[in-house]
Amino acid sequence: MISTNSTGEPALRIENLDKYYGTFQALRGINLSVQRGEKIVVCGPSGSGKSTMIRCINRLEQHNGGRIAVLGTELNDDVGNIDEIRREVGMVFQHFNLFPHMTVLENCMISPMIVRKQPRAQAEATARHYLEKVRIPEQAMKYPSQLSGGQQQRVAIARALCMQPQIMLFDEPTSALDPEMVSEVLDVMVTLASEGMTMICVTHEMGFARRVADRVLFMDGGEILEEAPPDEFFTSSRNERTRQFVSQVLGH
Amino acid sequence: MVSLLRNQKVRNALLQVLYVGSIAAMVLAGIVIARRNLADQGITSGFDFLFKSTGWDVNFSLLPATANDPYWWYFLIGIINTLFLGSVGLILATIVGTIVGLARTSSNDLARLLGRTYVDIFRNIPLILQVFFWYAIITHLPTPRSAHEAWGFLLTSRGLYIPFPNVGSAAFAAATVAVIAAIVLPAWLGRTSLLAQPIGQRRTIQFAAAAAALACATIILALGRLPDTPLLDFPALQGLNLRGGLRIPPEFATLAIAIAIYGGSYIAEIVRGGFKSVGTGQVEAALSLGLSPWRVFTLVRLPLALRAMLPILANQYVWLMKATTMGIAVGFTDFFMIVALTINHSGQTLEAIGILMAGFLAINLSLAAVFNRINKAIALKGNQLRG
Ligand SMILES: Nc1ncnc2c1ncn2[C@@H]1O[C@H](COP(=O)(O)OP(=O)(O)OP(=O)(O)O)[C@@H](O)[C@H]1O
Ligand SMILES: [Mg+2]
Repeated sequence: MISTNSTGEPALRIENLDKYYGTFQALRGINLSVQRGEKIVVCGPSGSGKSTMIRCINRLEQHNGGRIAVLGTELNDDVGNIDEIRREVGMVFQHFNLFPHMTVLENCMISPMIVRKQPRAQAEATARHYLEKVRIPEQAMKYPSQLSGGQQQRVAIARALCMQPQIMLFDEPTSALDPEMVSEVLDVMVTLASEGMTMICVTHEMGFARRVADRVLFMDGGEILEEAPPDEFFTSSRNERTRQFVSQVLGH
Repeated sequence: MVSLLRNQKVRNALLQVLYVGSIAAMVLAGIVIARRNLADQGITSGFDFLFKSTGWDVNFSLLPATANDPYWWYFLIGIINTLFLGSVGLILATIVGTIVGLARTSSNDLARLLGRTYVDIFRNIPLILQVFFWYAIITHLPTPRSAHEAWGFLLTSRGLYIPFPNVGSAAFAAATVAVIAAIVLPAWLGRTSLLAQPIGQRRTIQFAAAAAALACATIILALGRLPDTPLLDFPALQGLNLRGGLRIPPEFATLAIAIAIYGGSYIAEIVRGGFKSVGTGQVEAALSLGLSPWRVFTLVRLPLALRAMLPILANQYVWLMKATTMGIAVGFTDFFMIVALTINHSGQTLEAIGILMAGFLAINLSLAAVFNRINKAIALKGNQLRG
């Protein structure tokens, strides 16, 4: 499904990324390279800069130093580049952020129709396809506030997928959900991963990380302190902060 | 019996009856006493005076008026004047308020500062003072003889003169309706779900509707044109006086400006609040879907802000409508001033005040009803918010 580009350009390349909020430095010299089809899980304590990092990738935050290149396109002040990157990068938020004045179907169709200039019939077919995929085709004509949290988050995933992005960003997609709804969202994400989507997920769902992640990143104080495959990350981390964090989230 | 009194519904009903009953008794007593007092002064109560001619003139009327006309006709003139001034004032106040409100939410520091200064100044000066201020300025404009002309407009102490089409009043009214239709029709056609028709097709329909309405207006104006005159009549000095064009009297201009500027400062705050209430999350989601800032504004921020604004805006409009009663301060014959003059000349105080209250109640209730309809139509659907 995802076309592998022959240029060998990675899906995402971040070099020496710095980000300041006023005088406060939220990101310090981040380096990260993500290949097409790779799944990255980012974890770390609150305030460590996880959200800031992935929000820099689609320019919801503007970085102050270093370089970001998404699918070979450099992220800079060029509005054309920003538009191009946002078309190819989908994002799912902690609080769903659905448009409350549009039905589920409209939420999914609006951007393909306006940004991708798809005809209505095609946009609707795509929307219904992805709603099917996140297992809520029957909710298409409802409004977001008529759905449960888990359903809303699945709509949000479908909405992002309707743009047929090449990279998906997830910022704690399950942490605003009631426990019984977490798995329905994670299941959708696992399916997406198995189909080869390039994914960067900020999450503390360690079961999910074990199952799908190629690499787990641990962030603290605006830096990536550790980067390892899940097995190694959970069992034999060399870093003291990481071990402490892992034991906390695993509840030992 | 005791157990009946314990029943909540019965209790509520009883309280209701007591409440309404006591108010009715008070009103009745008031009327009886007033009638007796009036009878002592030799004034007959009742509404017969409505059909007597007034014997005095009004200085502003959209309908033909002479001193021979009966009171009921004058009341009608007053209501129409109030509605006309109110509509012009509300439209202008909304335009001013939207611009200032958007400036207050903009990311530009200077725009925010200007917006804030505007609101701080005009919201904190009583309306009556602002009315006097603008009246003083307008009545101190140059006399017609030394008036400056710009694009056919003339600003003088005797009023604002603007170019006006040379058409009969019926044709002008019809053309006005057509122009309003050109604005309202596209919005009405666009009220259905954004995705009900392909966007391009819907645009075409809206555009066609607006074009048709404007074409109607043009045809009406062309047909209704007074024979042997140019289409547009420009004001010009003739001897000591200005001839031609449309004269907007200083009183009307004063009130329209005062309501626009004062109301605008309140509406600006409502607009600002509406936009602030739109979650940054929705805006970020829209941006991350690749929608341009302009699309984010028209598709997400504006519709959500409008939903938050409308109920408060409706209150503000009702309130501004009542502000037209400032007419009496500068001598504009709005409904309130007509009632005041009626009381002076006929002595029918109670009846006139009753008509005044009923008139304003009707105006404001209709306004509120229109807004309720709009609110209902666009309210966010579904409210079993969970998760
Ligand atoms: N808009 C902002 N203005 C100022 N400081 C900010 C802003 N956004 C984030 N920060 C600060 O930057 C740091 C990193 O924030 P970030 O939201 O990226 O953390 P996080 O790792 O996502 O935390 P959490 O797990 O709580 O979501 C925090 O110290 C935060 O206070
Ligand atoms: Mg975060």
